[in-house]
Amino acid sequence: MTSQTARTLGASLRYEFRMQVRKRSVWIVPALTVVLFLLIGGSLLRDLFDPNERKGQPAEARTAVVGLAVQVHALLSIGFGCLLADRLIRDDRLRVAPILDATPARPGARLVGKYLGAGAATAVPILVVYFGFAAAYAVHTDAPQALGWALATCAVVIVPGLLFVAAFALTLPLVMPAPLFRVIFVGYWLWGNVVVPDMMPTLARTLVHPLGGYPLDALLDFHGIDGDDTWAGPVPGATLNFLRPAPTPTTAWLSIAVLLVVAAAALAGGHAVRARRA
Amino acid sequence: MRIEISGLTKTYRGGVAALDGLDLTVPTGMFGLLGANGAGKTTLMRILAGLVRPTSGRVTVGGHDMSTGAGRTAVQRGLGYLPQDLGVYPDLTARQFLDYLALLKGVDDRTTRRRRVGELLEVVALTGDADRRLRGFSGGMRQRVGIAQALLADPQLLIVDEPTAGLDPQERIRFRTLLSQFAGRRTVLLSTHIVDDIAQTCGEVAVLARGRLIFRGTVDELTHRARGRVWSVVTDGPPPAEGMVVSALPHEGGTRYRVVAPAAPDPRARPVEPAIEDGYLALTTR
Repeated sequence: MTSQTARTLGASLRYEFRMQVRKRSVWIVPALTVVLFLLIGGSLLRDLFDPNERKGQPAEARTAVVGLAVQVHALLSIGFGCLLADRLIRDDRLRVAPILDATPARPGARLVGKYLGAGAATAVPILVVYFGFAAAYAVHTDAPQALGWALATCAVVIVPGLLFVAAFALTLPLVMPAPLFRVIFVGYWLWGNVVVPDMMPTLARTLVHPLGGYPLDALLDFHGIDGDDTWAGPVPGATLNFLRPAPTPTTAWLSIAVLLVVAAAALAGGHAVRARRA
Repeated sequence: MRIEISGLTKTYRGGVAALDGLDLTVPTGMFGLLGANGAGKTTLMRILAGLVRPTSGRVTVGGHDMSTGAGRTAVQRGLGYLPQDLGVYPDLTARQFLDYLALLKGVDDRTTRRRRVGELLEVVALTGDADRRLRGFSGGMRQRVGIAQALLADPQLLIVDEPTAGLDPQERIRFRTLLSQFAGRRTVLLSTHIVDDIAQTCGEVAVLARGRLIFRGTVDELTHRARGRVWSVVTDGPPPAEGMVVSALPHEGGTRYRVVAPAAPDPRARPVEPAIEDGYLALTTR
């Protein structure tokens, strides 16, 4: 990377972050989703914070914060994808694109800066919510190691998933209207994460599972709050099992790499679409 | 930065030909570009700014071949571009917007960048509004921000498309003066519908029609095209049927019409001295 490219990336990242983090909807949408989480995730929170709920056997710190991550990630990522859907196309909508494109700054570096900057800004409320709950749990149970597990979970589950989502949220609206993308994205997110593989073909439990089934299973040894669940690997009778190798640390890192490579491919595709329109 | 264009053609999808074998040389200094809507001016400027690839033909700017990525980047390093339909980020302040663009234009040193942004805000009389978000700016104020961003990197080539649209008369005059002062040894390509802007600033001018060059010369030569074809006639009846009415002023005994026509449009018509606008109309309304 040349120094000019690095400077372009840095400038774009900084200003895209600044513009996105000031958007009210970036804070309102996650806030409303947290209300939903408190309603839906109430049983999980009782499991974590109410000592009587689990008959004196509270979930250990790792299980607790990873369980929190799964629910926060599953719910708040929907808003995350929807909020990013206008970021790239808005340069054209606002008619700023011509003056940006007339600068010597490389369009690819601007795209990556926008991706990382707008993505990071949109992720801030998610991380605030997650680390807020994790910190509350650490204080409540006097288990500071929970924060370490929260950081690790964030690194191997939440961040790769959000990078995957952000790449498509930024680039797909170049080839379809943003509202349509949002509808399709919500459908995809539920289908690809919630629908069980023996019900219909789905990306759940595959290497391309943005909720991070493989890292959850093989790197964090998470099997649900009660220890009964599995998150990755083949399902008897399900289609797409070729994408579901047995969960091991290697396949977990492979899964993360696949998500990042697919995200990079989506960005490259978006870059090519914009270049072709010139 | 000398611009050399030969055989330039741009055909958009659907077969719409915006430029049709254009040959043109633009020297250093102020150069005007005139033409009706759809004449190809904006397409030409977008090609020169590296935003649009031509269908065929050759363009070199300061010796850089615009058909290559390296050539376009080299030109863009010394380019200031003000598009016809300027947009801004409403969530940024004027100062932040200019700072962002200065960074993208390669003004890396923070002190230099701040000083340059401050100077240009002063030049376009926006210092007092520099830290207000652009969301609240009027069209004229946004246009002034656009002018400032075009000048950020001290460009050797300045391409301005309808720069005075939305400006009040005082701002227009101030901007014209600014452009003339700026030109010096640089190239300023000014496209506008406002013929008077060209007359007041440009030594040379080109006129496009349907993607082709129909005139290239000095402002005086363009004006001369209308010599013997500009008429003044006072009538209380309908305007003359022949020729193009340039102006209609209330006058004792009727209306005084200024008409561009190959021959006297009315027995009472008398010839008058042409202006650049007459020359332009004489060229484009044959």
